[in-house]
Amino acid sequence: MSAATAVLRRLRFSREVVLLGVLIALVVVMTLLDPLFLSPTTLLNTSRFFVEVGLMALGMTLIIITGGIDLSVGSNLGLVSVAVGFSYAAGLPLPLAILFGLVVGVAAGFFNSVFITFLDLHPLVVTLGTFALFQGLAYGLSNADAVSDFPAWFAYFGQAYLGPVPGQLILFVVAVAVVWVILSRTSFGRYVYAIGNNEEAARFSGVPIRRVKIALYSGTGLLVAMAAVIYTSRVYTARADTGLGLELGVISAVVLGGASIYGGSGTIGGTVLGVLIIATLQNGLILAGVPSTWQLFILGVLLLVAVFLNEFFRKSEE
Amino acid sequence: MSEARAPAERGGAGGVSLRRLLRRPEAPALVFLVVLVAAFTLANDRFLQVGNLESILASVAVLGVIALAVNQVILCGEIDISTGSMLGLCAVAAGAVATSAGGLLLPLLAGVAMGALAGAVNGFLVTVGRIPSIIVTLGMLYALRGVILLVTGGTWITGIPNETRVLGIGKVFGLGYPVIVLLLLFVVMELVSRHSTWGRNVFAVGGNRRAARFAGLPIDRVRFLAFVLVGVFVGIASVIYMGRAGSVQTNTGAGLELQVVAAVVIGGTSISGGRGSPLAALTGAVLIGVILNGLVLLGVPGIWQDAVLGGLILLAITTDVLRRRLVGDKA
Repeated sequence: MSAATAVLRRLRFSREVVLLGVLIALVVVMTLLDPLFLSPTTLLNTSRFFVEVGLMALGMTLIIITGGIDLSVGSNLGLVSVAVGFSYAAGLPLPLAILFGLVVGVAAGFFNSVFITFLDLHPLVVTLGTFALFQGLAYGLSNADAVSDFPAWFAYFGQAYLGPVPGQLILFVVAVAVVWVILSRTSFGRYVYAIGNNEEAARFSGVPIRRVKIALYSGTGLLVAMAAVIYTSRVYTARADTGLGLELGVISAVVLGGASIYGGSGTIGGTVLGVLIIATLQNGLILAGVPSTWQLFILGVLLLVAVFLNEFFRKSEE
Repeated sequence: MSEARAPAERGGAGGVSLRRLLRRPEAPALVFLVVLVAAFTLANDRFLQVGNLESILASVAVLGVIALAVNQVILCGEIDISTGSMLGLCAVAAGAVATSAGGLLLPLLAGVAMGALAGAVNGFLVTVGRIPSIIVTLGMLYALRGVILLVTGGTWITGIPNETRVLGIGKVFGLGYPVIVLLLLFVVMELVSRHSTWGRNVFAVGGNRRAARFAGLPIDRVRFLAFVLVGVFVGIASVIYMGRAGSVQTNTGAGLELQVVAAVVIGGTSISGGRGSPLAALTGAVLIGVILNGLVLLGVPGIWQDAVLGGLILLAITTDVLRRRLVGDKA
């Protein structure tokens, strides 16, 4: 192992290059398993399935860079799905119902940030609580029921194509660009890293920590809400268990992308690669006929291996 | 902080004793529990009968036993959210042995061994792997559930023999074994927590890890043992669970990890580690049992259970912060 790290250090491989190598290797293996895998149609089709996780991972990246975490994203997604579906079923016009869903998502994120900033509580505990709260609200308000009699145009959000390109892929690319600019080209982005590196020092340097965190968690709520609308449209059903367990994939993607769970480092490029690797792996497992029961196991183990390698390489870099 | 302290001091001697009471980490939960029990007794005069209280205790035995162990992990400043899947896996191991070999001792040993193994993996990854416990146990929550599905192939284990089920349904002098085991383990944990070296070290590690390290305490061993203890207690709880349910399903224990953490923090153990007690974990578990029982009495549909639980966690951690500010404690 030490020889490998020495080689890595000598070649000055950045994490993104390594991840890109892993992704290419995965694609090659998948193509060998199934020649259809590399066709543009399959690849573009696959993209429909990772956009939701990808959108949430963008917000999660920034949160994890500040040293925080949000375990409630999956539950929030279910809550927004229920908010859209059931406010529509109750008679609200669909555009307003979608707007209402976005508001609910942002409000949920804001709710998290209020506990985290004003009570100075660890995000882990707060979002563990809201994980249960949002999910419980979604179940309770929907009466564990589902809504699926949407008008035809609702399908645009999750099933539309522009030529061969799925609509949500374009939205994802735009979101990636926006979040990348925010993180690496604005003072807000510098604040995010500053908080993660040393919150105390950031506070004394005049970084508006509360405002940054409130914006981060609320913004992530907005990304979750967008993902919820796309998801609800894609499966054409609004129900409470929509986002069940999604937080694992989201956090795995961010950590695989190289963000340190202790805060202070991480990039949007890395996260996007992390999302793509997990999506390719999941898609490949399905193509290879691996039973879905394995997927939970593999995703769980993948998360552990990713974090372990992360901290291992980080130490050898120092 | 001095302004925040002023109201409590105004009361003179009475204020001082009130402050001392407030300093007990489990005080708010105990007061809340007494108020709730009084309210339910007024609402329904059968609530306070021995039989009903016993059945509430029995219903939270699995939760309480696991909470007693997770309490130690949280006191160390770590967390374990893998207990739900771990319970399922231990129950599968214990159930497999129970249906093939029978008896009580062998299934119990199988469950405890499986739990200790899973707990050791958690502890190893946290201490040697240097991965934060929340990530380790989140990964394990899913990985272990995957293992359950792989091992069982999605089928239930049924036909648990009666001699194995005794830990779940047996009674001595009208007191069920689940209650006896819970109270016994509570006493053991109080003794361990107060009088053993490891028990004291847990508080030191959770209170100030750097100071504990400089004092020469074996930080990694203390934390590793806490994670293994969770596995052992989950193993014991799995046999209680199996005894009560009579079968093992693939979704056994799903969502329990949340209730366990809720029980510990609602009871008053600080989520940041270093303060709390086994009594807090027990109080929290009983409080959750009383509340869930009360929801049924009040006719609230079961689907609201998660919302109530989440609200309670938030309420508990908020109260903890406010209480600390009131008595002028530092974080």
